[in-house]
Amino acid sequence: MKLFNFSQSRSLWMMHFCTGCGAMEMPPTMTSRFDMERFGIIPMATPRQSDLLLITGYLTIKTLKRVVRAYEQMPTPRYVLGFGSCTINGGMYWDSYNVIKKLELYIPVDIYINGCMPRPEAIIDAFLKLREMIAKGEANAWKKYIENYEWYKKNQSEVFDVEKWSIKNEK
Amino acid sequence: MLKNGVLKMKNEEQIKKDIETTFGELVKVHIKRRHRIKVDAPKNMTLPILAYLKQRGFHQFTLLTCVDWIKKGMFELVYNLYSLDYNVHVLVSTHINRENESMPTAINIYEMAFDYEREIHEMFGVEFEGHPRLGEFLLEDWKGMPPMRKDFDTRAYVEEKFNVKDLTKELFTRKEQPYRGPGSNG
Repeated sequence: MKLFNFSQSRSLWMMHFCTGCGAMEMPPTMTSRFDMERFGIIPMATPRQSDLLLITGYLTIKTLKRVVRAYEQMPTPRYVLGFGSCTINGGMYWDSYNVIKKLELYIPVDIYINGCMPRPEAIIDAFLKLREMIAKGEANAWKKYIENYEWYKKNQSEVFDVEKWSIKNEK
Repeated sequence: MLKNGVLKMKNEEQIKKDIETTFGELVKVHIKRRHRIKVDAPKNMTLPILAYLKQRGFHQFTLLTCVDWIKKGMFELVYNLYSLDYNVHVLVSTHINRENESMPTAINIYEMAFDYEREIHEMFGVEFEGHPRLGEFLLEDWKGMPPMRKDFDTRAYVEEKFNVKDLTKELFTRKEQPYRGPGSNG
């Protein structure tokens, strides 16, 4: 199990789902200036092959529907990283009619970065912290989603129609 | 306009004179500053002015905006046009009642107006007569009052929608017991 956690932490595939202004901080983090690939993190285009979901900034209700959909398609173990103050309490969109206020009510979050927006150094720092947490087996937010599935679904159904937006099993 | 190889620029004064001589006293033309003219027109004169200006070199429809003058009970629709030939912006503005008044659509003159009219219909609730596709555009599953109206109370809406009792307190002050995720009642 220890070996499994260790190897999990050294190879994180990050889903390329950019929302909000944090998407602007990702290109320098990915490319040669800060180069996150030296920590074994590379961007991946599809949720079905990725471990790490970044919520880079504010989420509108419209985007939340897609994020939940993408999150549920990811294989476990899966990790969520919340960027900036918008994911913590709404940030500068605290009285906006269509931006969600607390991300952790809808999907479980492993680690938050504060700031508006966080610099690439802060992002790298969060990646290292997350890596440590995974190696120790502490990043267990995905288990929370499975255990408290109904609680999350209830919260989601308060802001959008869950039935309409859930992935239907095709038989 | 290019005529015989010579660039003939029209300045703001000449454009103002053109509009005034064509449409008479019903239309008021102000020169706001260099390169910018504002035309105040009644509702039934707006589309003829747009058609006239398009013929005279204002080929670019930049923007259609709406302003909610709640104390007057009016919506102001502003059609922003631009001419590359003269380097002049013309803002054609017209007022309609906030309730129960519609505006004929401008898509037969400027096709660019299509999406702007959809957006204004969704955000302000202005009806555009003759528009083929006024429906859901940017907002999804929106019920109730359009959100950009001045009498739409954002905070009350947020408190109800996101189940927050007091926005300024709940989101910004630190509680004695921090939120601990599902399972706890915090």
